[in-house]
Amino acid sequence: MELLIAMVTNFLASDLALLGAGIAAVTGIGAGIGMGIATGKAVEATARQPEALGKIRTILLLGLAFAETTAIYGLLVSLLLIFVA
Amino acid sequence: MSNFVARLLAVDFSGLKDEIFPDTEHHVIEAGWFVVNSSVFSGFIVVVAILLVALIFRLTVIRKWKTTPTGPQMFLEWLVSFFDKSADELTEEYAGIMGPYTLGAAVYICCGVLIELFGLRPAMADLGACLALALCTFLFIHVIGFHKNKARRLLHYVNPINDITDLAVPVSMTFRLFGSILSGMVIMDMVYILVESIWFVGLPLILPALLTPLFTLFHAFIQSYVFASLTLTFVQEAAEAKPKKERKRRKDGRQQSAA
Repeated sequence: MELLIAMVTNFLASDLALLGAGIAAVTGIGAGIGMGIATGKAVEATARQPEALGKIRTILLLGLAFAETTAIYGLLVSLLLIFVA
Repeated sequence: MSNFVARLLAVDFSGLKDEIFPDTEHHVIEAGWFVVNSSVFSGFIVVVAILLVALIFRLTVIRKWKTTPTGPQMFLEWLVSFFDKSADELTEEYAGIMGPYTLGAAVYICCGVLIELFGLRPAMADLGACLALALCTFLFIHVIGFHKNKARRLLHYVNPINDITDLAVPVSMTFRLFGSILSGMVIMDMVYILVESIWFVGLPLILPALLTPLFTLFHAFIQSYVFASLTLTFVQEAAEAKPKKERKRRKDGRQQSAA
């Protein structure tokens, strides 16, 4: 019985933490879709109005930074789960 | 081939933990209450280097300022006018403060990341450094908001949703900067460990040289630019004065009708 409890605790503590780290990496999907849409729209806008390239680039970089944030949060969570938990 | 696979499986990534998390027991400088870890130490080096470069520019380039610019003068003019122009577009009357602040923050972030190329821990791979910069931005947002709208700014805080968004700003700026710098650092450390253990002719020379621009150089420039433009955007949001604009329009209308 004690062995079983020790096994379950060990499983919850280390193995599920690694599983959680893997699940946290799924945040990359959302960031990838968002960044792809933003870049595609920026390309469309540049094709329509090539003279507005400077402004479009500024807005695109800002939007990419916001979209990237979720992926970075996922990375931080998975790093914490792997090395700290 | 089987030899290669065996080597690849034998790569030991356990040293990565010590690289990612700063050493809490051994510090670079320990003198009583004055404790400095490796990130802060490289931050000091970056500050001294920036001050030295600024002094050298002041004594050489700026003293010989010409109407037909030379190379370094062109670079300085481009750098300063880039930040001044974007500050001028977004935060009109506060461009005098926000231009220098964003330039300073961007230069510090950029150099703080690029010091990784010399083998030191980047100054920005520390939560405290990122939090300090984000709190500076937080302070600027609210001080400028109060300076622009005076007591009318208090109405902004009545709405609880506004409060939550304001409190989220420093947190999200901190973690965006910290996370992206840390991810670049972790990837490069993984590459170094990989290159150390699988040794082929030229691989230790080529692979880091190809990957360093991707994960260190671009990150440094993009993150400093993003930090500067986010700061400007938030300050612009705080410095907006909707009720005042209508009054100005009325005044303009009267002047036009009088003229």
